[in-house]
Amino acid sequence: MEIPILSLMLLVSLVGAVVTFSMGKNPKMAKISALVFSAIPMVLALFMLTEYVQTAGGYQFKESFTWIESLGISYILGVDGISVPMVFLTTLLVFLAVIFSWDVDHRTNQFMALLLVLELGVLGVFMALDYFLFYVFWEVVLIPMYFLIGVWGGPRRAYASIKFFIYTHVASLVMLLGIFALYFEAASFNGFYSFGMEDINAVSPMFGMTFQIIVFGALFFGFAVKMPSFPFHTWLPDAHVEAPTAGSVLLAGLLLKMGSYGIIRVAFPALPDGAHEWQWVMVILAILSIVYGAIMCIAQKDLKKMVAYSSISHMGIVMLGFATFTEIGIAAGVFQMFAHGLITAVLFMMCGVVQHKAGTRNIPRLGGLAAKMPLAATFMMIGFMASLGLPGMVGFVAEFSVMTATFDAFGWLLLIPVTSIAFTAAYYIWAMQRTLFGPLTKEIDTDHLHDVNWYEALPLAVLCGLIVLFGMLPALVFDYIRPALGTVLGLLGGI
Amino acid sequence: MDYTALYPEIIVALFALALPAVNLLLKDNKFLAAVSLSGVGLSMLALVMYYVEGLGPLAFDNGLLVLDDFSALFMMIFLAVAFVVILASAKYIEGEKHAAEYYSLILLATVGMMLVAASTDLFVLYIGIEITSLSSYALVAFRKKDIKGAEAATKYFIFGGISSAFTLFGISLVYGVTGTTSFSEIGAAVATLDAYKEMIWLALVMVIVGFGFKVAMVPFHSWAPDVYEGAPTTITALLAAGSKKMGFVAMFKFFLIAMLAIKADWEIVVAVLAIVTMTVGNLAALNQTSIKRMLAYSSIAQAGYILIAVAVGTEYAVTGGIFHILTHAFMKGGAFIIVATLTTVAIGERISDYKGLAKRSNFMAFSMTVLLFSLAGIPPLAGFASKVVLFSSPIMGTVDGSEWMVWLAVAGIINSAISLYYYARVVKYMYVDELEEGAPSEKLKLPRSMVAAVAICVVAIIGIGVFPEYFIQLCQNAAQALFA
Repeated sequence: MEIPILSLMLLVSLVGAVVTFSMGKNPKMAKISALVFSAIPMVLALFMLTEYVQTAGGYQFKESFTWIESLGISYILGVDGISVPMVFLTTLLVFLAVIFSWDVDHRTNQFMALLLVLELGVLGVFMALDYFLFYVFWEVVLIPMYFLIGVWGGPRRAYASIKFFIYTHVASLVMLLGIFALYFEAASFNGFYSFGMEDINAVSPMFGMTFQIIVFGALFFGFAVKMPSFPFHTWLPDAHVEAPTAGSVLLAGLLLKMGSYGIIRVAFPALPDGAHEWQWVMVILAILSIVYGAIMCIAQKDLKKMVAYSSISHMGIVMLGFATFTEIGIAAGVFQMFAHGLITAVLFMMCGVVQHKAGTRNIPRLGGLAAKMPLAATFMMIGFMASLGLPGMVGFVAEFSVMTATFDAFGWLLLIPVTSIAFTAAYYIWAMQRTLFGPLTKEIDTDHLHDVNWYEALPLAVLCGLIVLFGMLPALVFDYIRPALGTVLGLLGGI
Repeated sequence: MDYTALYPEIIVALFALALPAVNLLLKDNKFLAAVSLSGVGLSMLALVMYYVEGLGPLAFDNGLLVLDDFSALFMMIFLAVAFVVILASAKYIEGEKHAAEYYSLILLATVGMMLVAASTDLFVLYIGIEITSLSSYALVAFRKKDIKGAEAATKYFIFGGISSAFTLFGISLVYGVTGTTSFSEIGAAVATLDAYKEMIWLALVMVIVGFGFKVAMVPFHSWAPDVYEGAPTTITALLAAGSKKMGFVAMFKFFLIAMLAIKADWEIVVAVLAIVTMTVGNLAALNQTSIKRMLAYSSIAQAGYILIAVAVGTEYAVTGGIFHILTHAFMKGGAFIIVATLTTVAIGERISDYKGLAKRSNFMAFSMTVLLFSLAGIPPLAGFASKVVLFSSPIMGTVDGSEWMVWLAVAGIINSAISLYYYARVVKYMYVDELEEGAPSEKLKLPRSMVAAVAICVVAIIGIGVFPEYFIQLCQNAAQALFA
């Protein structure tokens, strides 16, 4: 009998959350428990990476059970080349976030348990092959993040957490309406009611044009808020600024990816004609996000808010890649999701380190940190360089491929998004110069400035290593992604 | 005469009547609660027998009352509500006089609800409603020295009396035109009616008003927040989770059996009332400061959702309506019992009194969170499952000419989004906010029976949410029985 490896990952996270939560009396044990229970899914994910047959295409490790028979809802899990990197990224980031949060001493057991619940939800989103199940996991993610921001967040956490919760929940509901529309429309072609992705996608090219345009709009709205795309991004800076570091890492590293993943996994295959009609909206919103995000970064005084806006800019690149409807563009978009997950984790961890050591993230008040914390400065520089697209690092590969695909598809329109590269370099180098270099500032207590602790250095080192590794050998990831794009490209008409 | 079909009602009625006598022997409050619980339990057992033995539809007295899948499921819901309420009351009314009457009235109210569920005749239905109403007037006034309680009871009595008058007037018109009070015969008569159509319309208006009061439908809802706030909180749970649902049973029977033939005449009215009710309820709930009033307005909003089932009127929609009634009974009943539990340990009824609750009682904060999120429709909780069936019914039930019904689903979903704000606000108070300076911070010692009552609701909500299939089947069978 085959091992149901995907369900096993979900189950371990769930059991881990319960076990960790029950260790309220002993914070140390709670941390160890969270560490163990987040390590197991990662090991399983590595095992999955080796077992996955790259060339086979289609969904692998499939599991299928009937869940709610009368509504045609099934528990179907499966992964393809698009979700495999995301699943791995999820398990990795949660594991590293647990290590990084070693110094959380306020309600430790609950904090760690919520990280594991979050892992459950995000993994479920990346594995679900049933629209209903997809939605359930999608919503499950909201609750732990709401509490992570609300309980362990900064001074304005109450406002930020509720805004995050409501904003994204409203978007989810619009998406749910879209999913229902798909369900009923597909039933009229299939002759049976089913939420199964494969059942619905099998008849999706036959859906009427008006239907496709309207429903794609609903789904796209749901995903664009999550990504987030300009002009639906306003919840993100608030949420990030108030969230605890581990929360920010997972929010930017994983939750935003759910939005772009939804576009490629749900919206495109289910509504291929609608996607074509919306292409220009996607392109315009993507370019606006890229440029607007980058310009906003220059204006930020809070280091973390700057990183948050950079996420908007970089997720715009994902959307731009998808909107080309070409193999290279979509593959690069998926690769950018993976790359941004690694890079942004480093950046948010560094924000956490700076806040923790220096007591402030306010860029004008910082200065000369490199002298006192050389290791931290190294990590930060690697993160900044990777994010601004230095060749040899993972961000460069992704951005370069997207830009190439954009030129192929839209020609000189490329000139607009490409300006963001200059802005990005500007804000990162300027921020670096103001925080890390120059004379030590008097604004902060520099005498007690320590370098990173082990539990901070370890995750940062792992991430920086992977950034360089995948930057040098991007094929390691592309080999998973490209064979899997056949289905979606076929539905899109393979332009 | 064969009384088998009546066993569940008879058991509860006997216990209700016996309680005052038992009281003469033993005055202990806990003992009385235990006796009432065993009555409810026995009645449930009778229903379980009905299900297990597959007895099928049983009729009493030429079909004046029936025990079929529809009435059995509703009786089960009402009994479950009564069970949880009595369990919580054992501690809640400790030390009060007239405990025997209190339990006796709860049981009588339950009998009334069960009769409504089983009725196939307008008059029997009306009698059931009156038994429940009269019992609950007295229950709301149970703490007669409490000014708010007395005010609530007076208000409830006056509004209830007027609504009964409307209902009765409507019934008399229907009888006058069709010459019968049996639902199915009225249905047949209405289908072939050529004269006096206006009379039926007038009757419809009367009945909508009458039942509208019972289910707190806008614009006949204004009594609900005051009564829910003033009544002893366990009784509020009974009203919101039980007697209000009885109003929906009455609506299902009246509109979907007796008046089905002229559905085209009234469906738009009910649909508009549904949307107005959910919207007004949710908007009014947004800035309440009392948790009981907030839950009351949320109840009004939920009534709006359930009205979708009446407006759409298909078997699938009624399945959704029944399913939502079932889940709502546990969600709202549980939430009110949490409020009741907390008042026994000196935590007030303002929402701000819940600040930092998670530090004082993790269980209560967690339970409240589960129930509120379920009300908001967050998966994988039961409220989400039932909303899915309910809100998808207008889309599924769309036939040519009634595409407008899709707006019912849209309105429901928009309203669910609005509602999350006030539910999440309570969660925020409990988890995010710190205890106020100088407020007591020690762990709460909660009465075990009340904790058990809350636990039953929470387990039900999570269980139904994760494994809804069996319950959907139950509700579907019930809906089929209604239309049979």
